[in-house]
Amino acid sequence: MKSRITALWLLAGLVMIALATLALRTGSSYSSQDREQLLAGASAVHPAGTDELGRDRSVRVAAAFLLSMAGAILASAATTLAAGGIGTLAAFGPAVLGRFSMLMCDVFLALPWLFLLMMVRSALPLTTSPAHSAAITFLVLAALGWPACARAVYRGAQGLRNAEWMLQARAGGLRGPQIVRHVFPNLMPLLIPQFLICVPAFIIAEANLGALGLGIGEPLPSWGGMLLELDNSAMLLRTSWVYLPIALLIVVLLLLEAVATEV
Amino acid sequence: MIVVMVVAGSTVLMRFAPGYLCDAREMDSRYGDAARQELSAEAARSATLEQMLSREFGGWTHGDLGTSRQYDVPVVELILPRLAVTGRLLLRSILFAWALALSVALVSSAGRSSSLLWQSPSTLLLAVPTAAMATLCILSDLGGPTLVMTLLVAARDFKFLDRILRKAWQEPHLLQARAHGLSTARLVYAHILPSITSQLLALATLSLVTALSALVPVEVIFSVPGLGQLAWNAAMNRDLPVLLAVTMFMAVTVTLAGMASDSSDDWQRA
Repeated sequence: MKSRITALWLLAGLVMIALATLALRTGSSYSSQDREQLLAGASAVHPAGTDELGRDRSVRVAAAFLLSMAGAILASAATTLAAGGIGTLAAFGPAVLGRFSMLMCDVFLALPWLFLLMMVRSALPLTTSPAHSAAITFLVLAALGWPACARAVYRGAQGLRNAEWMLQARAGGLRGPQIVRHVFPNLMPLLIPQFLICVPAFIIAEANLGALGLGIGEPLPSWGGMLLELDNSAMLLRTSWVYLPIALLIVVLLLLEAVATEV
Repeated sequence: MIVVMVVAGSTVLMRFAPGYLCDAREMDSRYGDAARQELSAEAARSATLEQMLSREFGGWTHGDLGTSRQYDVPVVELILPRLAVTGRLLLRSILFAWALALSVALVSSAGRSSSLLWQSPSTLLLAVPTAAMATLCILSDLGGPTLVMTLLVAARDFKFLDRILRKAWQEPHLLQARAHGLSTARLVYAHILPSITSQLLALATLSLVTALSALVPVEVIFSVPGLGQLAWNAAMNRDLPVLLAVTMFMAVTVTLAGMASDSSDDWQRA
């Protein structure tokens, strides 16, 4: 419990630092270029140096961190809600619906995420804007993340359906929405860990997709896009600040993992 | 049934992707107007979902996976030579990962040290995106594709194995056997491994899924001419028939592995 609270505080601290970085450096957006300072090291103007296009690395890392956290949290919330709804409906609805829902879960679980993500991502129009590509990436992650969670919720909801208090409540005339009102609070111990597990999983998936050139489009900053810098050996020789995104990403994922495992 | 639904679901997903009808070749200036019109007409002919589904199912039953838009050769010809490369990589990685994860988990679970201490390295490994791990391996001139995939699969497997084995060691009959002085090796061989076989079989499927997820970044970054690299090339060049075929192949592999795991479990119970 103590390490979970520490991890939460550290994450909040990182969010504050990222927000402060973006707020204090008003003249420099994630896409503005300083053509005089290409591939520069740390300086007073650019505390973490610049990339090959002269964009401030600290601003880009801060924006990528906030974007990926926001996207992953929203996608995770959507997938958890969907899983909660499907799992509960499958457990409390007609048996056919339950079997069909679980069959759909099997179908989605049989498809490796990355291949499906690549398939959907590559079928996007050639003119997709960076903001749309970011939204679609996280939307697809949310659409693919629900089956494992839905299966767990289904098992939990089945247990609740057969619980004595539920049998008594149903025999007493409790119907649809009233049942859901009583079931959801009891499923929260199951849904919260699922939500927390999905956040780092989605961040890693986005980073892997971006590192393959299929993630969030430029000039929007993303972890995956910045990992591509590691392929540039000229950049690695000139500045070690190139390693900042990967180092920060690992720290963020470890903190999220600490929060998730402690629940 | 699952395989059929996977094929149908992926085909529907692809058909309704907003850019399905866009063909990168139509933007290639080397193609003349007549060729571009022919490409558009060809896309329009195969645009309806019924046609797509009948073509996919019909093709799959006859061993025809379509023709690559990028290379203009049958998809089967692209997949078959790469299958052996990917198969070898997967097999080696999974075997090494199991050997590593199982040995470490047996040592960690039998001892009295904290689970957190043993799990820290695997937590750290899982926090590094596969693409970054592969790039760092190349930069440090250390290891290759097998090492990256082995570490990733072993890290995930170890987390499960450590938990399963720690739970198994707490069984009353094992505590009593240990108190009577039975050797750890005998307990593991005669009692623990048989009792966790079903969980190990389920974990084998999970290992395959983990390895398949890491396949694309690893093969792309290390330039391994396997199915992952083929899928990535297809994704970058919008070669959807190839991408769909590789995805289907992966889905069938995972489904068959799951079925094999379930059947072995049933056989073992029987």
